Amino acid sequence: MTAPFQLQVRGIRKAFGGVEVLHGVDLDAPGGAVLALLGENGAGKSTLVKIIAGDYQPDAGTVTIGGEELAALTPLTAREHGVRMIFQELADAPTLTVAENISLGRWPKRGPFIRWEVVRRRAREVLDQLGVALDLDAPVGSLPVGERQVVEIARALSDQARCLILDEPTAALSAQETERLFGFVRRLREQGTSLIYITHRLDEVREIADRVAVLRDGDVALEGNAAELDRAEIVAAMVGRDIGEVKRPAPPRAVAAEPVLRFRGASVRGAFDDVALDVRPGEVVALYGKLGSGTSEVAESAFGLHALSGGELEVSGRTVKLRDPADAITAGIGLLPADRQREGAFLVRSVAENLAAPSWWSMRAGGLFLSDRREAAAYARWHDALRIRSRNDPSQPLGTLSGGNQQKVLLGRWLERRSRVLLLIEPTRGVDVGARQEIYRAIRELAADGVGVLVATSDYEEVVQLADRAVVMARGRITAELDGDDITTQRLTEEVGG
Amino acid sequence: MTPVSTTGPAAGAAAPGSEAPPPAQPKAGGGSLLSRVPDVTPLVVLLVALGIFFSIQSPFFFNYDNFLNVLTAAAITGIIAAPATLLLVAGQFDLSVGSGLTFCGVVMAYVADKDGILVGIIAAVAAGLVIGTVNGFLVTVVGVNPLITTLATLAAFAGLASVIADGQTLPLTGFSGLGTSRPFFNIPLPVIIFAVVVIGFYVLMRYTVIGRSMYAIGANPVAARLSGLRTGRLIFIGFLLSGTFVALAALVNVSQLSAASTQAGTGLELSVVTAVVLGGASLAGGRGTIIGTLFGLLVIAVLNNGLTLLSVNSFWQDVARGTLLALAVSFDQLRLRLTRE
Repeated sequence: MTAPFQLQVRGIRKAFGGVEVLHGVDLDAPGGAVLALLGENGAGKSTLVKIIAGDYQPDAGTVTIGGEELAALTPLTAREHGVRMIFQELADAPTLTVAENISLGRWPKRGPFIRWEVVRRRAREVLDQLGVALDLDAPVGSLPVGERQVVEIARALSDQARCLILDEPTAALSAQETERLFGFVRRLREQGTSLIYITHRLDEVREIADRVAVLRDGDVALEGNAAELDRAEIVAAMVGRDIGEVKRPAPPRAVAAEPVLRFRGASVRGAFDDVALDVRPGEVVALYGKLGSGTSEVAESAFGLHALSGGELEVSGRTVKLRDPADAITAGIGLLPADRQREGAFLVRSVAENLAAPSWWSMRAGGLFLSDRREAAAYARWHDALRIRSRNDPSQPLGTLSGGNQQKVLLGRWLERRSRVLLLIEPTRGVDVGARQEIYRAIRELAADGVGVLVATSDYEEVVQLADRAVVMARGRITAELDGDDITTQRLTEEVGG
Repeated sequence: MTPVSTTGPAAGAAAPGSEAPPPAQPKAGGGSLLSRVPDVTPLVVLLVALGIFFSIQSPFFFNYDNFLNVLTAAAITGIIAAPATLLLVAGQFDLSVGSGLTFCGVVMAYVADKDGILVGIIAAVAAGLVIGTVNGFLVTVVGVNPLITTLATLAAFAGLASVIADGQTLPLTGFSGLGTSRPFFNIPLPVIIFAVVVIGFYVLMRYTVIGRSMYAIGANPVAARLSGLRTGRLIFIGFLLSGTFVALAALVNVSQLSAASTQAGTGLELSVVTAVVLGGASLAGGRGTIIGTLFGLLVIAVLNNGLTLLSVNSFWQDVARGTLLALAVSFDQLRLRLTRE
């Protein structure tokens, strides 16, 4: 290890089913530096890093790791050369414990037996380093998504990586957790590790990256030193055009009407306690907190997913008891879940069916019969209004759309259902910059039409950009309420606590 | 191996098409031409190929009466395969159909012997509803996996049938009309019932809220619930339908044989699953059609009929059916992988 570690990618080409998604990409990731890899979904970032990690074989080009040109890179040889990747989607073993997951695949052994004390010690050490208190014996599947990601980061950190690829690691983390992660990234950089950091949050680029590479449609559209590039330049390179970022409407708009959704001292045992919260028509209220702070549970309880153990819930002034989502939908409430693929989408079914599902009963042509024509008409209506990019064919399977466009279809569900309250949980997690702005725009338009919107999120940028009012939660309780111009990154960070 | 994220390659491949007006939609969409070809096309080709082969090999294959034989042979399985398709589309299985047919038949013969045909029919339908209720309750209320649930009821109701019949075949006279009459064009009544059931389920699955909901449940049960579908209730209805049509099939079967045998339905669940899966219903749920199942049934029936005409030992027919099921399931996996990548 005399010469500094170096990872070089030269002339990488890759096609899927006859469509080339990488057209000869060059990339340098020197040791002791953080390379931010940016680009919209589908620009080829994931394909590129999967080639580096040995998951895909390139059609042409070379990957050189530590001076060694690797012809046939497999996941195993990539590992042997110190390449580690943290996936955006969880790649853990949900039924195994936290400690077991951290040592997964590299068990400390004596003969054929696993040395459990080493497994536990390793786990404790790396979690201490990260400053996270997790039960080592808890099955990973029982943890919230954010903490599962922490376990994955811990797993890669404990496994001396020379090149660490992080695929949107902070998408699910709060400001504090993000800071903590950055601390680690910096420490690894000082130790000479090469880091490839994929993100959609441009603020992070300035804070953590040394170099920036932007991919667009399979080509490197921009490369340079992070300090010398400004935000607009990077965004333009990613999108290939200028996009206006959605701005919160000017100072606190007076919303006088009765709240459409009101929590009165509401509690759900083990999740949140004594929550009082109003959402008025035309208002976007952000419920901001770290993962596990109870924000998503609050939103879910207004959709009949958790029974209140105390307090009351009012919809348009009337106290309601919601037994299940069907009740909530009838009461005029819609919900966009955090995990789109697992909880929201019927990927193999058509876009029209996906959009119409909650409205089927009201769309009937008589008796039990459903009108295909009305379903297609509903899709056509929202296809244009939401700027969904697709073939505009109502029978196209949802799974063939990009993530951002899938999210728009799912948003269209509640537009078609004419919901008066919309609950959004982490609405732009894993959605790229361009589509993110369009989703924000759609949310603002909804509010302008008089829908009351409650956004449960752990993304402070989202709160700053989107919310008329921000309610901050920590450990299941409301800690602050911020209005209009008081909603700043700094205030949010202060209020959410350490 | 790391589980490859679903957004990775799919998003990578779909992107060029989704950013701008798509020049050529790759992959899943890329089947734009291929996806226009109905899913049943390979089955139709297989059916025609089998038809030509058997026509050349046997002088008795290609004629109207033999076609009616094929359809009659497919009728019982078909009446049950229709609700089975609905269930599989919702990601559910009913393996208890074999012993269900036996049980309902035995109940029919046993009760009819004492209280007359009409009461017997009512008892048989009630027996079918009982099976459906037990299955539905265990799956939707208790939350047991449908395969295990119906494996358990498969065993239990086979045993119950033998208990009632005391292990004997129960004869039944005066009830042969349903199974053997030929109201017009010499077409046996069971074939007509089969056709009506298929059309009924085609309409149910294609044009009604219930059918659409079943597809949604199979495609993603969590998302279905979050879309306000009462998933438990719908699955329960599916099992009730299955039980009801098992009873109908049992009546036809008893009528054809003028007796209720304790072996009547043995192995029927295998034929049903083979036909449904061969017809393109995905084991992962969310996909499948009645038309597919119909062709699946016809392929199996033609194969059995042809092999019989060629005097192939019936044990070999079992081998052929098992092979067909293995092929169909492999094909399903292959297709799943193709649509994912």
